[in-house]
Amino acid sequence: MNQLRCPSRTKIILLAPTMIMYIVFLVMPLFIAVRYSFTDFSGIGKAVFSGVDNYMKLAEDRLFLVSLKNTMIIMGLSGVGLLVGSFIVALVLNEDFPGNTLSKAMIFAPYVIAPIIVGLIWGFILNPEYGLINSVLRKLGLESLCIEWIGGTKWTPVAVSMVFFWQLLGFHATIFLAGIKTIPGDLYEAALIDGCSRSRSVFLITIPLLKETIIMNVILIITGVFKIYELVVQLTGGGPNHLSDTLVSYMYYVVFTSSRYGYGMAIAVFILVISMCVSFFYLRISRNRGKEAAS
Amino acid sequence: MKRSCISWIMFGALVVLITVLAVIPFVWTILLSFKDNSQIVNDPMGLPASFDFFNYRKALDVLDIGRMYANTIMLAAASTAAGVLITFMSSYAIARLSFRIKSLPDKLFLFLIIGLAVPVYILLFPIYRINVKLHILGTFIGLILPYIAINISFNTLLFVGFLREFPLELEEAATIDGCNTAQTMFRIVAPVMKPTFVTVVLFNAIYIFNEFPFASTFLSDSRKYTLSLMTSMFRGQYSMDYGAIIAASIMMIIPELIFYAIFQRRIISGMTAGAVKE
Repeated sequence: MNQLRCPSRTKIILLAPTMIMYIVFLVMPLFIAVRYSFTDFSGIGKAVFSGVDNYMKLAEDRLFLVSLKNTMIIMGLSGVGLLVGSFIVALVLNEDFPGNTLSKAMIFAPYVIAPIIVGLIWGFILNPEYGLINSVLRKLGLESLCIEWIGGTKWTPVAVSMVFFWQLLGFHATIFLAGIKTIPGDLYEAALIDGCSRSRSVFLITIPLLKETIIMNVILIITGVFKIYELVVQLTGGGPNHLSDTLVSYMYYVVFTSSRYGYGMAIAVFILVISMCVSFFYLRISRNRGKEAAS
Repeated sequence: MKRSCISWIMFGALVVLITVLAVIPFVWTILLSFKDNSQIVNDPMGLPASFDFFNYRKALDVLDIGRMYANTIMLAAASTAAGVLITFMSSYAIARLSFRIKSLPDKLFLFLIIGLAVPVYILLFPIYRINVKLHILGTFIGLILPYIAINISFNTLLFVGFLREFPLELEEAATIDGCNTAQTMFRIVAPVMKPTFVTVVLFNAIYIFNEFPFASTFLSDSRKYTLSLMTSMFRGQYSMDYGAIIAASIMMIIPELIFYAIFQRRIISGMTAGAVKE
């Protein structure tokens, strides 16, 4: 309950800077994006209103559909991989063993590095000719397993998923770990006394009690996939011929390279709407948590 | 809990495997930074002939890394300081002050955290236009202002979240003792919130330190370039010198990783703060 009284002048001074910054550089840009998405603006002359033309074009634009498909592939692969992988990592880190803090720090480290550098590093790992993965495979005599990870037409989304997985594993594991720590230990002891094995209690106790954390992680993965840009820039630049673009990198190309601002903003609004819908659940969960904690 | 020897060995192997997978890309990159271009391409698996820093010297010749560091740290410091200050002020008003319209604070809070749902890439072109109108395109101010705005939602979530859980008594006593709002905020409340401030500052600073899309789109003068732009600098003007690019990247991430090693616990809790209940 808010109780402290003070003159309105003070309230305005406290709120104004944030509100002005937020409105000018976050809210207004969204309206500008929406407005341009209904025009054919290309940088020269006035923006002419063109109705929903840009949105109709989306359905026929092969490159847009490819970038949408790539984004979905990345979401599916890294989504499943991250959920399972980070849960296992969290279970491991929940155990007491020497070097626990150190390995936790190392597993989280990739999340702290700039994505643009992560993309660069992985370019040298995934490169089909001299990258680490294919070199190791050749050394092992598994030439047939060498894949054109990046640069080809087929495997780039898989490669991007791998990099994304590597970068976010520690992040999602930390969230799972925080969830696991909230489960009271005596539940497991009781289960053990009842003859329930450790692996069974993971399925019977841990997973059901982590429902909210799992949802949180799913939402964060989905919204995270809509932020993949630097990785694509570094790994393939979207090539060849935009076949490896994600939604965001394709939008960037349409707007800043080919100057089709109106159309680019239609793609932007498309991304925004999806992101908003998913994040709505996120906000609901985090607000409920805030209320729970406060009460 | 007691476990058999075999299950301990398997567990140990799993820990080592996971940790090694996380670390290998770093080790690989450091090894590459000591090889010349032809060895990188022709003998990727071989160890470097010697641990000579020639790639680092080349990178330092091409890039003014000192200036890039200065630019990046200046941007991160200015945006973080200003952003944290103004969001603390507004969060305090939202969480504490009484308004004539009772539901106003809650509505403001919701309005301010909606930004969490906005992928920043959508803002690139519109903010570009706004910067052109304000004549700040290509300047540091043209980056600082959007950086402040982008972090408002996260900061608000954390500050208001903390304040709502924190009892009012202290501030009521301060008010009775004759403190005005500013004194109560900065002398009484802020010191108690130090851990929250550290979390927010680290989150904001790391985000800006690593930021690429805004910096690469808005900056055109290479003297203003930030560290995240260095890889693209090699790409444009010079033929691809892999060794030098890698060395330059290492020079960006090593200080960052050292910083991370020191503040590891705070950074991990800060970067997951939006999703984890403390």
